[in-house]
Amino acid sequence: MSGASPPSPPSRRAVVGRRVRKVDGFKLVTGRTAFTDDIALPGLLVGRILASPHAHARIRDIDTRRAKALPGVHAVLTWKDVPRVPHTTAGQAWPEPSPYDTYLLDSKVRFVGDRVAAVAAETRAVAEEALRLIEVDWEVLPPVLDMEHAMDPGTAVIHDEPDATGIRDAARNLAGDIHTHIGDVEAGFRESDLILEREYRTPRQQHAMLEPHIVICWLDADNRLVIRTSTQIPFHVRRQVAMILRIPVSRIRVIKPRIGGGFGGKQEMVLEDLCAALTLASGRPVKLEYSRHEEFFMARTRHPQILRLRMGVKRDGTIVAHHMRVLAATGAYGSHCTTVQGNTGSKVLPLYRAPHLRFDCDVVYLTTPQAGAFRGYGCPQGYFAQESLVDEIAHELGMDPIAFRLKNAIRQGDVDELSAQLGEGKKGLPRTIRSCGLPECLEKGAAAIGWKEQRNGGVRRPGRLLRGVGVATTMQGSGIAGVDFAGAFLKANEDGSFNLQVGATDLGTGSDTVLAQIAAETLGVSLDKILIYSSDTDFTPFDVGAYASSTTIISGGAVKKAAEKVRDDMCCFAAQLLDAPPEDLVCRDNRVFAPGGKSVSMAEVAVHALYKEKTQVMEGASHFNTDSPPPFCATFAEVEVDTETGRVRPVHLVTAVDLGVAINPMQAEGQAEGAVAQGLGYALAEELVLDGRGRPANANFCDYKIFTAKDMPKLTTILVETEEPLGPFGAKSIAEVGINGVAPAVANAAFDATGLRFRRLPIRPDAVLAALGGRR
Amino acid sequence: MFDRLRAFHRPATVAAALRLATAERRAGGRGAFVAGGTDLVVQGDGSLRWVVDLSLLPLRYVRRRGAGGGWTIGSTTTMADLERSAALRRFADGVLCDAAATAGSPQIRNRGTIGGNLANASPACDLAPPLLALDASAVIAGGAAGARKAAGGRRTVALERFFRGPGRPALNGGLLVEIVIPAPPVPRGGRAAWAFQKLGRLQSDIAVVNAAAGVIVGSDCRCRWARIAIGAAGPTPLRARRAEALLVGRPFDRDAAQAAAARAAGETRPVSDVRATADYRREMSRVLVGRALDECLERMGRDPWASW
Ligand SMILES: Cc1cc2nc3c(=O)[nH]c(=O)nc-3n(C[C@H](O)[C@H](O)[C@H](O)COP(=O)(O)OP(=O)(O)OC[C@H]3O[C@@H](n4cnc5c(N)ncnc54)[C@H](O)[C@@H]3O)c2cc1C
Repeated sequence: MSGASPPSPPSRRAVVGRRVRKVDGFKLVTGRTAFTDDIALPGLLVGRILASPHAHARIRDIDTRRAKALPGVHAVLTWKDVPRVPHTTAGQAWPEPSPYDTYLLDSKVRFVGDRVAAVAAETRAVAEEALRLIEVDWEVLPPVLDMEHAMDPGTAVIHDEPDATGIRDAARNLAGDIHTHIGDVEAGFRESDLILEREYRTPRQQHAMLEPHIVICWLDADNRLVIRTSTQIPFHVRRQVAMILRIPVSRIRVIKPRIGGGFGGKQEMVLEDLCAALTLASGRPVKLEYSRHEEFFMARTRHPQILRLRMGVKRDGTIVAHHMRVLAATGAYGSHCTTVQGNTGSKVLPLYRAPHLRFDCDVVYLTTPQAGAFRGYGCPQGYFAQESLVDEIAHELGMDPIAFRLKNAIRQGDVDELSAQLGEGKKGLPRTIRSCGLPECLEKGAAAIGWKEQRNGGVRRPGRLLRGVGVATTMQGSGIAGVDFAGAFLKANEDGSFNLQVGATDLGTGSDTVLAQIAAETLGVSLDKILIYSSDTDFTPFDVGAYASSTTIISGGAVKKAAEKVRDDMCCFAAQLLDAPPEDLVCRDNRVFAPGGKSVSMAEVAVHALYKEKTQVMEGASHFNTDSPPPFCATFAEVEVDTETGRVRPVHLVTAVDLGVAINPMQAEGQAEGAVAQGLGYALAEELVLDGRGRPANANFCDYKIFTAKDMPKLTTILVETEEPLGPFGAKSIAEVGINGVAPAVANAAFDATGLRFRRLPIRPDAVLAALGGRR
Repeated sequence: MFDRLRAFHRPATVAAALRLATAERRAGGRGAFVAGGTDLVVQGDGSLRWVVDLSLLPLRYVRRRGAGGGWTIGSTTTMADLERSAALRRFADGVLCDAAATAGSPQIRNRGTIGGNLANASPACDLAPPLLALDASAVIAGGAAGARKAAGGRRTVALERFFRGPGRPALNGGLLVEIVIPAPPVPRGGRAAWAFQKLGRLQSDIAVVNAAAGVIVGSDCRCRWARIAIGAAGPTPLRARRAEALLVGRPFDRDAAQAAAARAAGETRPVSDVRATADYRREMSRVLVGRALDECLERMGRDPWASW
């Protein structure tokens, strides 16, 4: 294993690459008002949603007279009261590649928790009383809960409405499908010496972000609709609400305060349309939020999948062909349905440079909670399957799993053609690998976990506690090639500070800090001179939003361009003061330097520009990429299996990740560690369970278990820096990639410890115990 | 959540608390006592009209009971108090401290009380198994049955009879005043050991199964007295009496422990739910009772015959 990556980036940088504190850290830890709910509005009403008790039913009639008559009730809305505009709630760039199969309110419900009606009242108690007074005449329809039978003839049709568009085959409950290939897998299998075919199952995972979905809407003095919301996608929300409520974009202003976590669950318009409708109906400010209970099943989940993988290899370990077949459930509505599942193929299969690849996928509707975007966006499912299978094949061949991966993994200079076939809703662009630190990730990660010493070899030894180690290699993207774009705007103030206005949305990722660092580095000023504001559709430029690991590379790219323009402007004015040509000037340490060493402060330049030259220095820029450079990751797990209880306890997790250049290494490590925590939950504990009628059985933190501080193993995070030509200062991304390898690394470690394969997530103690018993 | 609540009382004495509860009940409407509120608030029963808060009552204590080695624990003593009690740590191998320390998180243990834990009567509550393994009783004041019975309106109920079903304590509207633990009957020259075991899905969890064991051996190293208690494996925390009987009168060793654990599992009546299947719970009852008895064995010294 040789270090394929170029030498580390220059350490001359003053702000980029430094472990600076979060720019909003102080305000958050001191409990200052930062979040959507942190305002008090006179006359604020409380909105509540009447949730469907049935998984599938038609509303024959709905009587709201008693609810409307209740004192303190200001609005009651049902499907009869609102425009019927088919749309998708997916927060994606227009035209969205998800089917338009959703309505503000409908005369049909498609899962337990679906919207039946909404109320705005003076207190929560009155609102809830009003919900109880709404009388619904139901025609209960058969639920469709099993994805393996959703397309069977005779199954109830979930989307039988005539006006939905973009559904692949509504009569068969097929929301979307994907069939794509490179080469000829069947020919590839004929050339193979060993073929393994295995099935894997992954659960419905919930985002469990700290702050549930919350929106506050009001009409301002000009009667414009203001939407203050915890969202990853303020600009998409503005467009979607305008379309759904049939009002012009110009009449809407979306304010995004600080977000208390999203993980993709807020890459979606979830409550904004309904809250806005209640405000328009009542003329009063309205707050609409999910309780934690509601959040579990009325928001979004990760898509559950059944994956069938078939891989053919040569005796020397060369992968020849790989066929991945996926059946996925999008739940009641198809938001993100083909794009998430597209990723399961396009960001997973190309990790190994097999000449024959094939991806077939059906995404079905079920009368279950709606799936959507979730950190990893289809990759955690695909990588769990692929990395488990690859491990099994290496074992069958008697090869070291690391050597097997290194032999087959994509490398610098390679072009991934599958991505060209699987774009977001249309043909995509080929992916050229311009930077790849995967070999170094594997090398350093193996050393950190003690790969050679800790490996048990997949044999069952006697004893109560068995230990083993496992590995998984993964990648992701950095923005959606040719789709994601962002704007940034900067202006200079007379004290040498700069306002940076971005449409990007910091949801706890630290993007406000990273973007401010990029601006400061480019301008040659200290971080405290950058006043970042994000985001408000009236005042900040457009940004598609925080998703697809795009913010650092795309929004950061826009910030860098805007900052370069402002720097050039500042140099022009400084040139007048320094009597030197602007192109010879250098900005650093909050000053502008001439070649001889003579300098002026940024403040002096700004004052000169403003009061002498009567010019506001201000610049904006937009940025997009036609490629999506993948970050690479090697995840190593050491686990301990209790053979009496079946519990798999993670002992040590190592994440070695090539993220390009780390703009802020401390925050990057935080992202990697958070991804491990969420990945461990996915591997070992998290699953939203539905009963036989589609009702959630564990919609609370008592029974939906996420990893807490007490459960976390020892963590080692290794940042392997490479220089990515497409990224600002060489950066790629870090937000998602770290989650992909956790479950397969844990499963592979459990195999190493016990000799047993676990192909269903989460790996539950009773399943482990049963498997161990079967071998006894 | 508690939209119908119209009265929140904070009495300073047990008598006042009972008076207030009686008056409220007469006036009609549902109500409840509240101690730490970690069960009551989370359950969020919106029909409650009144609450009598017990936190000002002088019931937060852990006291020795006479010279015999018994204890009384006031009902508003918190889990954190139990966890940190130096005196209890030295009693019965600190089994109560160990059990309290596994409950919830530090915040929950700072608020949650022993009285609330038992009065909530969850089959999974963590303090029941060790208290059952210590032959504890509940002292109850007031309530429909209490008024008629013992003098001063107080009665004592063995903990085993206190749990009548999930969420059904034998309180009859009375107030749980304190828990009484008798001195364990350790004979001269004999030895005793206790242990608690809990299995959750993750570290911070309601028990999938929990278990406590207490064993007393005579100077002949034969088992004189055994208590095996299991939680979350039936409608109430339960004593595995047949398993206990298997131990008594025989030398206490690994084989005896394993045999008793297997029999104890047979005495459980677990259900399947989202946390675990009945079969898994039954199997874990065996594992946890086995581990608890092994721990007892360990605490008595690896070879009980050695010191004989
Ligand atoms: C996050 C979380 C984690 C938890 N983890 C655990 C755990 O691991 N193990 C565990 O055992 N429990 C756990 N619990 C449950 C709870 O914390 C305990 O049962 C606690 O001991 C309850 O005590 P409390 O004082 O808070 O009870 P409260 O909520 O005040 O009362 C509970 C019930 O008992 C009644 N009550 C209280 N005191 C008296 C009294 N003196 N006389 C008569 N009735 C009374 C109340 O009316 C109510 O019905 C957890 C709870 C939460 C929220």
